Amino acid sequence: MADLNKDEIRAMGKAVGLDIQDPELTEVMYSLNALLESLDAINPPGLNDVEPLPIILPPA
Amino acid sequence: MNKSELPFLSAGDLSRLIQSKEVSPVEATEAYLDRIESLDHRFHSYLTIMREQALADAGQAEQDIASGQHRGPMHGVPVAVKDQFWSKGVRSTGGSRILADFVPDEDATVIAKLRKAGAVVLGKTNMTEFAITGFSHRYSTPRNPWDIDTYTGGSSSGSGAATAAYLCATSLGEDTGGSIRFPAAWCGLVGIRPSWGLVSRYGVMQGVWSMDTVGPISRTVEDAAITLGAIAGHDSKDLYSSTEPVPDYRQSLGGDLNGLKIGVITEFMESDLVEPAVRQSVSNAIATLGELGATVEEVSIPLSMDAGVASAVLLAVEPALAQQDWIKDRIQDYGHDVRILLLTGSLLPAQAYYKAQKLRTLLRQQVLDSLEKYDVLVLPTSGRGAQPREEDPPITSKETAGRLAFLFTRIFNLASCPAISVPCGFDDRNMPVGLQIGARPRAEETIFKVAHAYEQATSWHTMRPPGA
Repeated sequence: MADLNKDEIRAMGKAVGLDIQDPELTEVMYSLNALLESLDAINPPGLNDVEPLPIILPPA
Repeated sequence: MNKSELPFLSAGDLSRLIQSKEVSPVEATEAYLDRIESLDHRFHSYLTIMREQALADAGQAEQDIASGQHRGPMHGVPVAVKDQFWSKGVRSTGGSRILADFVPDEDATVIAKLRKAGAVVLGKTNMTEFAITGFSHRYSTPRNPWDIDTYTGGSSSGSGAATAAYLCATSLGEDTGGSIRFPAAWCGLVGIRPSWGLVSRYGVMQGVWSMDTVGPISRTVEDAAITLGAIAGHDSKDLYSSTEPVPDYRQSLGGDLNGLKIGVITEFMESDLVEPAVRQSVSNAIATLGELGATVEEVSIPLSMDAGVASAVLLAVEPALAQQDWIKDRIQDYGHDVRILLLTGSLLPAQAYYKAQKLRTLLRQQVLDSLEKYDVLVLPTSGRGAQPREEDPPITSKETAGRLAFLFTRIFNLASCPAISVPCGFDDRNMPVGLQIGARPRAEETIFKVAHAYEQATSWHTMRPPGA
């Protein structure tokens, strides 16, 4: 997957009400791209067949 | 016994001397307060010292015990608690400048339970900001008593430093991704992350709601067992607090390991992230567990090395939502790495969070399947011993974005399983190494049994840091 650039990061910030400027903008770009890239690379068998971990209910 | 020697006792030994009235809680509390006053400028372990209240509580404990009202193993024992927990009438910063003046009007349940058990709270310990990163301190960075130029590990950094430096008898930390076991390993201590739901989260500043756990950082396994016994148990103020009865964990201490099956997680043991000296120490510890009677086999948990990424997503997204108003209005009041983490968490797509939770499901199933065959799983707590203290560096590339890949704790947070770190040797810089032992939910007794058997077969827990 292609890395997000600064303009895209800034736009994503605006979408959630954040005005992200440098120096944070550059660091958030690296941080976000690193996480998304790492996550994208993990595709174990069965991933599409499970539900996300549900709320852990208190014992009866 | 000379008063100045009291801080060097284990909490268990101190407790027995208090119960037999050979030592008074006031003497013990004064001894710790004296040490804190004369030494903590080296370690930066406390943010707030509660001298007057501690002495008053110790005086009350002394009166109660003298009148035959001994409440149990924590009665009169001086403890330190992480500043992440509300303390009534006492500043509770969460390690952040944003809460520099926050004074709660009630105690977190864990502090209330400690007080009910008769413990004497000495003060609030230093921590990384809001306990959501491993490094960023907004007041000062605690020093590791094993080498003053190295870091303690975080986020319960002050609890680690205070306990290792004999500035409390035992302490409380909080572990969302490893924040009890990480400083325990790097400071040569015992730290247990209990099963999620065993200890109330009420009054605990939130990290990831389904992974936050409060537990002890102590100098011995027995100390951790009695500390956990004091804080565990149902709390109606925490919706997900377990209603199951809490056993006396001291009953699980002692005996050999005959009949016990131990699985060694190969992905961690063979990882390039483990330094050779750490691997050797952990391998030696595993051999000792075998000599104690356990059956030891290798086990593969294929997703184990991906736990760091999955938990990193949760650790970014959930605090970012919980703190969204401060992020919008006070972003510059955060320390550097927390600021970047929270902004990153604010932007992570919903699909990433959803995928991380699905990975969590698969990983948890792999861990629980392994624990059908084995009583406990073992691995290094960290692939490295304590590292030099460093400033919070800027992120200059994708490659420098992750700083805790060597920390192997998160597998049990994601799986909602208990896990302990116990000292198992030293690396080639003479810094402590931790052996991690995990088990199925609510199997704390098994964990304590294994950890105690190992501890008693070795001498690591008797060694005193040169800086203390």
